[in-house]
Parts: sequence; C-alpha cells; structure tokens
Amino acid sequence: MRSDPRLRLPIMLIGALLLQTTVLARMRVFGVMPDFMLLVAISGGITAGATRGAALGFASGMLIDLFLSTPLGLSALVFTLVGYGVGVANTGVLRSAWYIPVLTAGAASVAGVVLYALVGSMLGEPMIDGHLVTIAAVVGLSNAVLAPVAVKFVDWSLGSLKTGASLSS
Amino acid sequence: MAVYRRSRRHRFFLVLLALTSVTVLTLDYRGGGDGALESVRQTARDALAPLQSGAEWALSPIIGFFGAIGDFGDLRSENAQLRRQLDAARADAIRGADADRERERLLQLQGLDYAGGLDSVAARVISTAPTNFRLTITIDRGTDARVDVGMPVVTAAGLVGRVTEVSKARSTVLLITDPQSNVGVRLANSGEPGVVRGGGTRNPLALDLIGTEVPVEVGEPVVTSGLERGLYPAQVPVGRVRSTSAAPGALQKEVLVDPSVDLIRLEFVRVLLWTPSP
Repeated sequence: MRSDPRLRLPIMLIGALLLQTTVLARMRVFGVMPDFMLLVAISGGITAGATRGAALGFASGMLIDLFLSTPLGLSALVFTLVGYGVGVANTGVLRSAWYIPVLTAGAASVAGVVLYALVGSMLGEPMIDGHLVTIAAVVGLSNAVLAPVAVKFVDWSLGSLKTGASLSS
Repeated sequence: MAVYRRSRRHRFFLVLLALTSVTVLTLDYRGGGDGALESVRQTARDALAPLQSGAEWALSPIIGFFGAIGDFGDLRSENAQLRRQLDAARADAIRGADADRERERLLQLQGLDYAGGLDSVAARVISTAPTNFRLTITIDRGTDARVDVGMPVVTAAGLVGRVTEVSKARSTVLLITDPQSNVGVRLANSGEPGVVRGGGTRNPLALDLIGTEVPVEVGEPVVTSGLERGLYPAQVPVGRVRSTSAAPGALQKEVLVDPSVDLIRLEFVRVLLWTPSP
C-alpha cells in the first residue's frame, strides 16, 4: 500500500478506535471484550521499543478515554506505562519466534487490566471485585489471539518512523 | 555512556507522558461535569459519530456473526430456560386466566403504565461502552433531541438506567447493573422502600435497606419509589425479586432482584424527558 507514511499513524489509531467501539464492543465473552487500544500500546512496545511504546500508549489511551465515562487520562497513564514496560522487556523480539509477541501481549494485557483497576480504585471507581479476574483472563487471552494482527498493523503504521535514524536516538 | 544517556532520555520521556496523564486526570477530576476537557470530549464523540455509524453499517455482518458466537452459550441456556418457562406459562394460562384479568385491573388502578404522562424520545443503542469497567451504553440522541444529563432511560419492560453524559448527537447511559448505580425503589406488595444497587454485568441487583421483619415474596415486582429528590420518576418497573434470605443477627434482609429489562441485548430505548427536581 503506497500511502503517505505520515498519515499511517492517524489512520491506524482511528481504525483501532472504530474497531474497539463497534465490532469488539459487541464481541463479549462472559460480558468481557478484548482491549484493542491496550494492544496497540503493547504492539508499539514490541515493534518499536520503550519510548515509542510509551508514546503510542499515551495516544491510544487518551483517544479511548474520550469515549469512556471513567476519568480522562486514566487509560492514557496506564497504557503509557504498559507500552514502556513491554518495550523495555522486549525490544527487538519482532523477528524472534511467532509465539513471543503472542505470549507478551497476553501477559502485558493481564498486567494492564490489573494496573488499570488499581489506579481506578485509587480514584474512587469501584473496579476491584470478583469480576476483575474474569476481565483479566478474557482480555489476556483475546488480546493474545489478536496480537499477530495488531503487531503487523502497528508496525505498518509506524513505517518510516521506526527506521528513521533521526528519531531513533 | 551512550547507552546510559539513551536510557535516561527514555525515562525522561516516560515521566513526561505519565505526568501529562496525571495532570489531565486531575483536571478532569476537579472540573467535574463541565469544563474545557468535557467539551473536548463532546466534540470528539460527535466527530466520530458518523464514522462509527458507517463502520457499524459496513461491519454489521461481522458484528452479527461474532455476536452470535459470543451469545451461543447464553442462548443455549436461555433456550432451555425459555422452554421451562413456556411449560409453566401454559399451565398458568389455563389456571390463571381469570386471576390475570383481575390483576391487570389492579395494576391499572395503581397507575403502573408508568411513562404515561411524560414526554419521551426514542433512541437506538449504538454500542456498549468500549471498556470492561463501566456498564454503560451509547445512544444516538443527544442535546439536539432535548436529552439532558440525569434523564431516566426505559424500555417497555422497565428501567434501563440514567443519562450521565451528553453531547449534541450522542448520550451515555449508566445501566442499573453498574456497581455505581443506585436506584430508590419500593416493593410493590408491602410498599417498603429500599435502594437497588448494581452488581455488575449478568448479576442480579442487590436490594438494600429491607428490614428482616418485612415480608418479601420471590417474584414480587420492584418499582422506583419516586421519593422527593429521587433520581427517577415514581413507579417505573425495575425488576422482580429473585431470592431473599436473612443471615441470623443481620439488620436487613439480603434480597436479590432480576432486572425486568434484558440489559445485555438492548436495541431501542426511550429517554424520558424528565429531570430530578433540584
């Protein structure tokens, strides 16, 4: 696809947002849906390292926050930390075995969900109860399944940004 | 040395982003329902609305397909349950045709056609909240259709929830099953007031403040109380008592209530143009 590389990132983010708010919001198992916006942050960390993982997490988190009734910035904060963490733990695994990104996405998703509930509870949102276990399990599994697609999508969107020497300091 | 500098720069960037998030969080928290951030939110929602509708339309076969897969387990147990209910209903129909007529007259006397005197706006449910931590739905009507924050949302079967956020063409409705939802209700038979609290998706509602001496029947209807300064108008059906028990020494009964509306598969709702009196 020959598209302006600068447009790829916004296209990916809006596409992910639409996917999350339409298709995935209806694909619920035990009332829980995959968290694609979190997966975008994780994929950023996997394909492009800690800094860009954090940046992508911030962008995708802030974007989905606009459409939630939880406090604005909550997802942004959590996704930033998760994107960074994945990047630190995992730089350059894109070319390793296929199951590494899958396992990483699963584990990081569980961590992200739990962190989200913890920070949310500190802000007075009732998020920690028995259902949290179900949420963490379903999000972990479904995000792991979606990980190969998400990693490709995010990798495409970062395009020249990823290899650009001036930005990779 | 280079590696050291690089990781320091990375960390600086991380701290910068995290602090920005926390700043926005604080501003949003302090700003409450109105403020610059809220208008950014509303603008974003209205801007995405047409794209969302387009995506929904284009992807509807996929949504239907995966929706069906997700629902499969539910549907099977629901099917079995419906068969049992059908059998019971057939028996009841024969036995209770007369009693039914009498009951209907009584209900009419009680004025249970609840939304009768109120203006309302029909709305389509666009989506459930794109999060696993809040039980809300988005509907396709907003301030342009006179919908406002605080208005009750119902279907023919009863109470759905309350509008918590509104933009020009979209509103967010907090479902009564959300743990943050509290509804003032009374039991239809005894008239005893209580508060119904959300228990999370697919869980029954918990009815609080019912004393141990109050008689509660399984299947008893629960309606909104409409007490002064209540968040809902009076006599909107909320659900039916599923079970009741009292632990020894407890100050109140543990009463669980099944919502009368199927809150998982909502398609159309009505917003009552009614706001709580201040």
